[in-house]
Amino acid sequence: MRFVVRRLGFFVLTLWAAVTLNFLIPRLMPGNAAIAMMSRYKGHIQPQALHAIEVAFGVNTHESLVHAYFTYLGNIARLRFGISLTFFPDQVTHQVLQALPWTLALVGITTILAFVLGTFIGLISGWRRGGMLDGTLPPLFVITSAFPYFWIGLLAIWLFSIKLGWLPESGGYDVQTNVAWSWSFVSDALTHAVLPAFTILITAIGGWILTMRNNMISVLAEDYVRMARAKGLSSWRIMWTYAGRNAILPNLAGFAMSLGFVVSGAILVEYVFNYPGVGWMFLQSVENQDYALMQALFLLLTVAVLVAILAADGATAVLDPRTRDRS
Amino acid sequence: MTAVTAAEPAATPGPEPPLGAARRGYGADLWNAVLRNRKALVGLLMLLFFVVLATFPGQIAPYNPQATDFLPGLGPSRAHWFGTTAYGQDVLSQVIWATRQSLLIAFAVGGLATVLAVLVGVSAAYLGGIADGTLSLLTDVLLVIPIFPLIIVIAAYEKNSGLGMLVIVLGALGWSYGARQLRSQTLSLRTRDFLESARVRGERRIYVIVCEILPTMTSLIVATFLGAALYAVLAAAGLQFIGLGDPNSQSWGTMLYWAENNEALGAGMVLWAIMPGICVAALGAAFALLNYAFDEISNPALRMRRLDRPIDGARGDAVPAVPPAPDRILEVRGLTVAYATDGDPVIAVDNVDFDVARGEFLGIVGESGCGKSTLLYAITRLLGPPFAGEIMSGHILFQGRDLVSLDERQLRHLRWREFSVVMQSAMNALNPVLSIEAQMRDACKAHSNMTDKEIAARSREVLQLVSIDPIHLHSYPHQLSGGMRQRAMIAMALLFTPDLIIMDEPTSALDVVAQRSLMVQIKELQQRLGFAVVFVTHDMSLVGHFSDRVLVMYAAQVAELGRTRPLFAQPRHPYTRALMEAFPSIHGPNARLTGIPGSPPDLARPPAGCRFAPRCPQAMARCHEGVPPLHDVEGDLVRCVLYDKGAVPEPTLVQAS
Repeated sequence: MRFVVRRLGFFVLTLWAAVTLNFLIPRLMPGNAAIAMMSRYKGHIQPQALHAIEVAFGVNTHESLVHAYFTYLGNIARLRFGISLTFFPDQVTHQVLQALPWTLALVGITTILAFVLGTFIGLISGWRRGGMLDGTLPPLFVITSAFPYFWIGLLAIWLFSIKLGWLPESGGYDVQTNVAWSWSFVSDALTHAVLPAFTILITAIGGWILTMRNNMISVLAEDYVRMARAKGLSSWRIMWTYAGRNAILPNLAGFAMSLGFVVSGAILVEYVFNYPGVGWMFLQSVENQDYALMQALFLLLTVAVLVAILAADGATAVLDPRTRDRS
Repeated sequence: MTAVTAAEPAATPGPEPPLGAARRGYGADLWNAVLRNRKALVGLLMLLFFVVLATFPGQIAPYNPQATDFLPGLGPSRAHWFGTTAYGQDVLSQVIWATRQSLLIAFAVGGLATVLAVLVGVSAAYLGGIADGTLSLLTDVLLVIPIFPLIIVIAAYEKNSGLGMLVIVLGALGWSYGARQLRSQTLSLRTRDFLESARVRGERRIYVIVCEILPTMTSLIVATFLGAALYAVLAAAGLQFIGLGDPNSQSWGTMLYWAENNEALGAGMVLWAIMPGICVAALGAAFALLNYAFDEISNPALRMRRLDRPIDGARGDAVPAVPPAPDRILEVRGLTVAYATDGDPVIAVDNVDFDVARGEFLGIVGESGCGKSTLLYAITRLLGPPFAGEIMSGHILFQGRDLVSLDERQLRHLRWREFSVVMQSAMNALNPVLSIEAQMRDACKAHSNMTDKEIAARSREVLQLVSIDPIHLHSYPHQLSGGMRQRAMIAMALLFTPDLIIMDEPTSALDVVAQRSLMVQIKELQQRLGFAVVFVTHDMSLVGHFSDRVLVMYAAQVAELGRTRPLFAQPRHPYTRALMEAFPSIHGPNARLTGIPGSPPDLARPPAGCRFAPRCPQAMARCHEGVPPLHDVEGDLVRCVLYDKGAVPEPTLVQAS
């Protein structure tokens, strides 16, 4: 129980840190971003929008910084992120909710797939060390894991869309199809997802393969694996229940830690493919200086990482009785 | 502490030198290791290539990178290897000039992040208490907050910020992963002897950190630097690509930004978009390869060494013409085991012969590093990492079958039913994620058709044999006390009541009282159930009380093999005598423990002649001439020139003074 409470406390603290960064960064930057922006927008946008900026950044409200901070915290706690400039006069929350499913479907599924597949390949290649698989995949993926995500995306577009014409080059679906749960829409969305998913998959998978392989090799030198051999268990049983199950535990912890990396890669992939998800919207908001939307999305990305960590914690608790006892 | 009790479980020959002693010259070792590693070498050469490009772009690049002197959108040609941009600039020249900024970012961010990581990580671990709590929390929070989006947020408020800003932000946010690793490494070092001694000497904290801790972590620090540099290269390219850098700067990311804005790929200026990406990837790959190689170097388990092949004729040999004796359960003949090293193979078990009779208790003793554990894992055919030796020659006849010639599948049928193994530390030998019951069930399922009910009944029964309440069947290893774990492992070894149980120091992890009661219990079970025991230990007193015969090993060879009583009454080999003097006798008068001066020889370079001679108080010139043979003295065996034919053995008694 204490473990769970501490973990939850940590999550709250991290969220608080992210919110505070959101609040502080624009106020600490040299030259007030909000004022600069307002002078640029004056006369171009509706007065309500201008007022929204004023409220969001505490310009012209004569509030003290501390007071403004608590007002800000209160608004965030009630999920009031303000009004989006890009999609004026739509609420930020509404916009975010529209983009979220796309990203969950694309990035969520491919990330889990990359983790499962990479862990599996790493497990096999660590188990059959020096074999064919071990000789080819890990060295290959050391190199691909250093490739920039977006550049792989560019190449994929060039090859499969421009040159070969097999797959659409951008967007999440064909604008001519109706957005509905119909077969034509779903298949269209899937076709659009193939290239970005492929890009994320091949750049993200390398890390999992390498760490799992190395964990596996360390675990294979453990006494309990030798004991399992001494007991005359089948190789299959030793590989999964004795070596694999123990080797995957550090990989789960690693999953949580490197998720930030995956998220940043996914943002760029969505950007390259104009994929209508959270990452694309995030960069869109940066470009349009739509700070309210940007802040909300940054917070959402933090929450996404925290949720993934929670899932990894849960999986660890299922696999490892020692963590169960601590909780 | 005597030389004998200072024993460590590891028996791998040529072990890593102790950290404290080896840390001077650690940098040089590291450098040599890098040069030997192929991945590291490739990474280093790639990095060197970019360093050269970044240092002399003016000499190497054919044109001014910014000059818009040429036709736009030219394809690759002699004059323009990579073609020209949509603005009529030479792509090759741009790529070369851009190297400078990317390398600068990589090294500056890598350096900044590493310094911060070392500062936070090491001081958190070294200071402990509240400082550690706060710093660790800060590290963990920063680790979880998605950094790249955060950088984008910062860049969004301050567009077109310069290179310095980029470096500071990337560096200030990129240190957390390294700090976490450095912290845990420092924590594991904190209690090491050389640090304790520095503390006792009253060295200042800062001195201890800089001069004692940091040098031992060179490889981890280098890894932190490489990881941060890799991350900086990719992050900077990403930021510049989406237009959050200075659009007039010369960098690969900026080139990609302009290429993308001009739809270079679609418009046929393919190399404009491909070459900068290849450069980012190549520089990243150089860092990744170096990082991977360093991981291998600092973690020797990841490196694989292999013997070319076992010495020819070893395995196919006919079994020697000694008729199998029905009263012997195990006959080991000429067993030789070698380890692959970077140099010549190291012989860890050298031509060892011995027998075990049915129901016999044979003790194998010797200092650590003498090959006891290797011998034991060779007999059980369990060699494999970290005991990655190979049987080079010899036979292991078990119930008439030669274990050396069996393959893994055939061995599996014998394992646990016919012979089982008890390991040194049950904490490590029991699978931490399975309950005791599940681990017993595994063994039963592998060798019988018992139903779940029968398995549960049998598991309860064996637990009761070792006096554990069967309620603990559902416990996990970490929930049991040290003594209980050890008993549970012995219970597991009894599941099929095998004819032979091999035990590797099964009591050495326990305190003296628990040790004693466990030994008594093992002996009782042995007499009741009639199995034979091969018992490895470095503790002479255990052997003296419980074994029927004793095999003394020294430097991979049998030094002496004899019946326990006569051997203890009159040890023949000077090494046996020295071992006995290093342990307190329970019965005799209080004697001063003397310990054995020196330590066992490095098996990679064993001394010529008798291997104990350099430490032997009775050594003479003859000892250094050749390896003495095993002499049969009154039915017992001893390897010492004192028993050469014609030599008059001087009376040997345990000195009681």
